[in-house]
Amino acid sequence: MSQDREESAMMNLLRRGYGAIFYENWPIWLGGVLLGIMSVITFAWARPWGVVGGLRNWGDWFFKVIGLYSQAPVSPLISTNSLIVLGLLWGSFASALLSKQFAIRMAPPFELLKGAVGGILMGIGAAMAGGCNVGGFYSAIGALSLSGIAMMIGLIMGAYLGLRYVYWELEHVATGSAGGSVTSASGKGLNLLAVEPYLGFLALLAAIVFTWVYADMALTREGVLALCGVAIGIIIQRTRLCFVRAFRDPFMTGEAEVPRAVAISIIIVILGSAALKWTGLRGEMVYVPQAFWFGGLVGGIIFGFGMVIAGGCGSGSVWRAGEGQIKLMLAVVFFSITVSLVERAIDASKALTALMGNRVFLPHFIGYRWAIISLIAILLLYYVITTWNEKTEKFMVEM
Amino acid sequence: MADFTPNETLDCRGLSCPMPILKTKKTISAMKSGQILEILGTDPGTKNDLPAFAKRGGHEYLGEKQDEGFSRFYIKVK
Repeated sequence: MSQDREESAMMNLLRRGYGAIFYENWPIWLGGVLLGIMSVITFAWARPWGVVGGLRNWGDWFFKVIGLYSQAPVSPLISTNSLIVLGLLWGSFASALLSKQFAIRMAPPFELLKGAVGGILMGIGAAMAGGCNVGGFYSAIGALSLSGIAMMIGLIMGAYLGLRYVYWELEHVATGSAGGSVTSASGKGLNLLAVEPYLGFLALLAAIVFTWVYADMALTREGVLALCGVAIGIIIQRTRLCFVRAFRDPFMTGEAEVPRAVAISIIIVILGSAALKWTGLRGEMVYVPQAFWFGGLVGGIIFGFGMVIAGGCGSGSVWRAGEGQIKLMLAVVFFSITVSLVERAIDASKALTALMGNRVFLPHFIGYRWAIISLIAILLLYYVITTWNEKTEKFMVEM
Repeated sequence: MADFTPNETLDCRGLSCPMPILKTKKTISAMKSGQILEILGTDPGTKNDLPAFAKRGGHEYLGEKQDEGFSRFYIKVK
């Protein structure tokens, strides 16, 4: 009798715990903190967190398959760039299943077009800035690179312009309602929604088995990196941490929750990777893009505009694709092929490469101490200004 | 949740962030105080965004109902 009761109390506890983790969204600041910690773990394990390198690898691979490129890229199944993004996709897919949020979500045709165009713009911007919002901004500032700040300024400007466009579109383009394009969330006969958590569990199990198999093939480094990607995918899907919002919200709604979370997250990455670099455990020039200042700034503007109309950045498009959103799947596809083509063009031209700028590792100029202090000061400034704007709505753009 | 008779219904099914919020903002600005807006949506982000939007704008968020494959959200205009 009492054993029964204990068991049911245990089940109750587990059920409530599961509900708290997978049915309720986590606070966004927690997402920022966890993402920062996970980024540092990923860098300590092998390399910084990035997205666009993986997308480029897929694009290169696609063009090799159709015969446009003669040289084959590193296999997407071995490339750490690719594996970390596959992990992100898989993690957000598993996380969406576990929270019963996975559904193939169709969008109206005009929205699909915006996804594709946004993807193309993000591809161009990321190629110029030497990374997307992750490698060009988040991990780049974390890596004490000055081009990350150039891209940050570009992203702010691009997000502002993107929002102006979206406002214009609301007035002038009659997309109307999306009626008819209802999601095919749950099958009619079999209730898919009810089994989603079990499928999600299987997906997580599969990720662990995958890492196991890779370790057996002496690919432990690659396998665990994919698992880091999975962890990042779960964190971002559960908190809906969105870099677009970090730049768009101050202008659109005035909310500063996401800008604050992103600022805190990057400060964690700065401290972690500064430790790894200063101690010589990792190369100093790792994740310092050759993009200061032209590539970072102009690439950031183009990328920022693209991410607002696509409704997802480099990481955001991937995790929303993992949730089943067709618009963002299109954005990822067009992003991949564009970044492959444009980066190839930039690499092939000495003039274009020089135009993008220099690799500026801040501690080489002002030392580690002042590099860390000044980068953290810039992020805290963003934190304070966006919070002030939350109260005063000074930067908010009216419709 | 009690049943509401909405004065207007905004269909945002298939749209993703930021379109549902912007369309809601636009629709509400043309509505009268005390009226109820119903929003149909399929984006999981809307679940968090709409209550936050309503709170910031001083509107009353009345709640959501699950329908087949989409959600119905209710906001009472300030």
